[in-house]
Amino acid sequence: MAANFDTLTAAQIAAGIAAGDFTAREVTQASLDAIAAREDAVQAFLQVSPELALATADRIDTDRAAGKPLPPLAGVPLAIKDNMNLVGTRTTCASRMLGNYESVYTATCVQRMLDAGCVPVGKANMDEFAFGSSTESSAFHPTNNPWDTDRIPGGSSGGSAAAVAAGEVPLALGSDTGGSIRQPAALCGVVGLKPTYGAVSRYGVVAFGSSLDQVGPFGRTVEDVALAMNALVGAGRDPYDGTSQDCAVDFCEHLNDSIEGRRVGIIPAFMEAEGLTPEVRAAVEGAAKQLEAQGAQLVEVDLPHLDAAIAAYYVIGPAEAFSNLARFDGIRYGYQEPDCPNLDTQSSLSRAHGFGAEAKRRQLLGAYLLSSGVYDKYYYAAQKARTLITADYAAAYEKCDVILMPSSPRTAWKHGEISDPTQMYLSDLYTISINIAGNGGVSVPLGLGAESHLPVAALVGPAFKDRTLLMFARALERGFADAATGAPALTVAPDFAGKGGELA
Amino acid sequence: MKELSEVLKDWEAVIGLEIHTELTALDTKMFCNCKLSHDDEPNANVCPVCLGLPGALPVPNKRAIESIVKAGLATNCQIQKRSMFYRKHYFYPDMAKNFQTTQGPVAFCMHGRLDLEVTGRGAAERPDCAFGEAESLSLASASANAEGLSTAMAQQMREGGESAGALAAMSGYDTANLALPERHEDGSYTVPIRILRIHMEEDAAKMVHVGGEEGRIAAASESLIDYNRCGTPLIELVTEPDLRTPEEARLFMEKLRRIFLTLGISDCSMEHGSMRCDGNVSLRRRGETRLGTKTELKNLNSFKALHDGLAYEICRQAEVLEEGGIIYQETRHWEPGRKRTVVMRVKETADDYRLFPDPDLAPFDLSDEFIEHCRAEIPELPDAKRDRYQEDFGIKRADAEQIAGDPETAAFFEESAAGLSGKPAQAVANLIVNELAAYLKGVEGGIADCGIAPSQVASLAKLLAEDAISSNQAHEVFALMAKSGEDPEKIVDERGMRQVSDAGALQPIVDEVLGRCVDQAQQYRDGNQKVLGFLVGQCMKASRGQGNPKLFNELLRKSLE
Amino acid sequence: MALTQTDVRGIADYARIALEGDELEQMTAYLNDAVDMLAPVLDYDLPDVEPTFHPIGDLANVMREDEELAGRGLPLDVALSNAGSVRDRSFRVPSILGEGGDR
Repeated sequence: MAANFDTLTAAQIAAGIAAGDFTAREVTQASLDAIAAREDAVQAFLQVSPELALATADRIDTDRAAGKPLPPLAGVPLAIKDNMNLVGTRTTCASRMLGNYESVYTATCVQRMLDAGCVPVGKANMDEFAFGSSTESSAFHPTNNPWDTDRIPGGSSGGSAAAVAAGEVPLALGSDTGGSIRQPAALCGVVGLKPTYGAVSRYGVVAFGSSLDQVGPFGRTVEDVALAMNALVGAGRDPYDGTSQDCAVDFCEHLNDSIEGRRVGIIPAFMEAEGLTPEVRAAVEGAAKQLEAQGAQLVEVDLPHLDAAIAAYYVIGPAEAFSNLARFDGIRYGYQEPDCPNLDTQSSLSRAHGFGAEAKRRQLLGAYLLSSGVYDKYYYAAQKARTLITADYAAAYEKCDVILMPSSPRTAWKHGEISDPTQMYLSDLYTISINIAGNGGVSVPLGLGAESHLPVAALVGPAFKDRTLLMFARALERGFADAATGAPALTVAPDFAGKGGELA
Repeated sequence: MKELSEVLKDWEAVIGLEIHTELTALDTKMFCNCKLSHDDEPNANVCPVCLGLPGALPVPNKRAIESIVKAGLATNCQIQKRSMFYRKHYFYPDMAKNFQTTQGPVAFCMHGRLDLEVTGRGAAERPDCAFGEAESLSLASASANAEGLSTAMAQQMREGGESAGALAAMSGYDTANLALPERHEDGSYTVPIRILRIHMEEDAAKMVHVGGEEGRIAAASESLIDYNRCGTPLIELVTEPDLRTPEEARLFMEKLRRIFLTLGISDCSMEHGSMRCDGNVSLRRRGETRLGTKTELKNLNSFKALHDGLAYEICRQAEVLEEGGIIYQETRHWEPGRKRTVVMRVKETADDYRLFPDPDLAPFDLSDEFIEHCRAEIPELPDAKRDRYQEDFGIKRADAEQIAGDPETAAFFEESAAGLSGKPAQAVANLIVNELAAYLKGVEGGIADCGIAPSQVASLAKLLAEDAISSNQAHEVFALMAKSGEDPEKIVDERGMRQVSDAGALQPIVDEVLGRCVDQAQQYRDGNQKVLGFLVGQCMKASRGQGNPKLFNELLRKSLE
Repeated sequence: MALTQTDVRGIADYARIALEGDELEQMTAYLNDAVDMLAPVLDYDLPDVEPTFHPIGDLANVMREDEELAGRGLPLDVALSNAGSVRDRSFRVPSILGEGGDR
């Protein structure tokens, strides 16, 4: 049987290896072959790590041959966003600043995926230091949306989303500071979860906004995302991350539970928001109907302070980013401008030439917002808005279990279509407030938009109950599945499906 | 330049201190699990966290937090249950992240106080004790004019929800609860010195400047960075500018050091830089209510440097002011070799450190249990110990103070003087303060491994107290017992050193000496009292040092009457 | 009040990011746009609302034990491996005061 590995979910791959249907090396080779065949068109990776991947796969095969029990994701190829450290790979953050930076330690989230048996096939492209919503600010190359390669994959975790959508890997890790998992997941038609802040360790993930950043998985099915979550949080809190929480639950346990009698919140203002395209709105309304059809009750909820969310985010995010990126001075690591007469010149030119435009913009905005006199006006106001937005969500969740809203106001746009940075910021309308409140959020594909024929998606985001969140995500997935096969609404993008990656 | 004592007649010096203490008693750094060490090779103890590698995160050391809470309790501070770590940004490679993790407006310890007892010559440097007069001005005008260090600090620190007015009140020189010094009959005085805060922070890396003049940053062609020290837990104590003389500053520092040593949180080595002091000083005419412009002094890293550096700076400022000059707000470096301060940099504007709460570090909300647990671990502090020694052992206050200030010495004293009081206890104290202290200077290591046992000292003290030996003999016996480890009683007996205090045995010697020294005897009778010393010396010699000199003295007087 | 190019140069100097060519002009325009976009937040400086500094509301007192952990420290060659300039066992920086330096 010569199946293409891209037809298999992570769950099926792990089961197949455990059953002896194929080996981890065969799957890994298939993934590497698929990457070789598809990467020219999608450009999802900054670095492919075949030796590391095959060595990992061989260890799994050896363990199986020796009769050792295999971990739950044994042999599942994984793409890792390039802001996560993994010894044996560079961690570049898609920046010239870290172009040659070799990881000297491994991030906890990556290590936990490896401990669960995942095979690291490479580091995925991203917006430089995760500043962006299109992956166009990568210093090395853009990534193309597998559904239409003239278009962007979203961002900042665009490489991770595109690698999954193009069938190069079944699972990927991303990070989400203001929508950087959910928005590219939506634009690429895959499932992407931003867990509750603190659920997944940030240790070893290059920081952007420390109070906003959260790591999460991409997959083509909700079940795969649940399995990845089990791997990420199963070992409990990470002692190396002081903000890490113990969230160890089995995400698969209630995945297929009925949502009958549960309540789904709708925010009317969100459905009327400027910039929301009719096809996305129609799709989300369809999703609401679908959930209703499964017995859920729709309730209107209000988030009265939401108008401050984007502004608060662009105060807090850049302030933290300026601080977090101050360490990149070209001394201990990173790009160092040669032949400078003194330290100040070396630092200023290393940073000027190491960082791209958006990274410089965010840092200078942050440095300005933290400066004496300005800080008092903006930073405290933003953190107070945060208090109110968090309270809004808490109040809303008194009335509903989850809230349904679009993941992105529109489908994927063309490369270069949005060049004004402040315009780009507004595309995060639906995702940002959830980072501000620290809640979880997931993006689930609802099929293709009626006009664009590009993926559309909805987002459900309850507070501190990521397992419930995935249960609703699964309900949506089930609702939009192919009636005959039960396959999710969207699988691998058609232009890429089956190219390279045959399982021998 | 005028002498300090002259200057202080006309001018009042207003002095504040910032004292950094590394928590050397801990095993690991502030925010990572790297070993603390002073003498390892460069960059031997570094990890992703203290090198500030991308993605690394800090987690606070619990014992460091316990240590600062103890430091606060021992200095009468109010322990703040709620506080946060902040990031203080400045681009300099000794901070791996280009920000220092420190505390904001609320430190773990706020508003403490230590009382100083100023005696002897130093007490004369405050001739006025009109200390309080100048402070009786309103808080508002004081804070408006204050250029004290707390103002500079407040400019860098910002607190949520606090109005500018509240900040000004915090930053100003708060005179509301300033207590006045109390002058005692013997000329000494007691003065309370307020502590503004003690906060927790991390130390910077060490930099070596290569090329140019040895070790100096100017003209260096390159600098080398060793991150071993980076991230070492550091507590910074800031006093209110309540100090008025270099002597008070020195006493404060000494007292604080004794407390921290007793707490066992640091080795407090000024020599090795684990305790470091910066000062700031301004002058004002006696009677003046406004504060003058202050200068900051660096490199005050010994008690002598602290005293002499401040004394020099006070005299320098007085000279500038008396010549009609202006004091610039600047940072100056004390050069102990040349005995002068030189300008390091002029502060034109306050640095903007862009402080904000560190989002990687959860806030603190210390429980009563945590604080009480820390309190329970605080040993008897030097002041209480001194009072107890004075009371229980009946030894002199100055000796009690010196012994109580060093935990090892105190433990040695208590063992040596166990069960004693009065004369023999004082003899133990004398031996420890004089003989043992001198002996320790010449050997490696501390009291515990110097080879002298408390029982030896107790035994020697007993001999002294019984007048069995003289203090000169005690000195000799001390050296012998240190070398041999033998009991002093045995040494004295074997060498026949026991002092003879029997008048019947000594009278013949007196008679013999007076028979020989007829001229001197006559001089004494003619009113020359000094010659008695010579005659006692002759008696001692004739008794081969064993006669009790006091008794000889007595017998000679009687015989010469 | 709009930020001037002088203001922006001051911020860039502080942040150690040299602005070259027309970057100063572009950056000034950007910062003014961005600050305009932040205006809605100014309405939120409300006296009776506590600022949130941390998204996990009741998280407090996170500490670790004072103990060395094997495998956390970096061997010297690894610690120095990504540095642009080293000398012996140390990281190296050029002259701090140097030509044109202002410290």
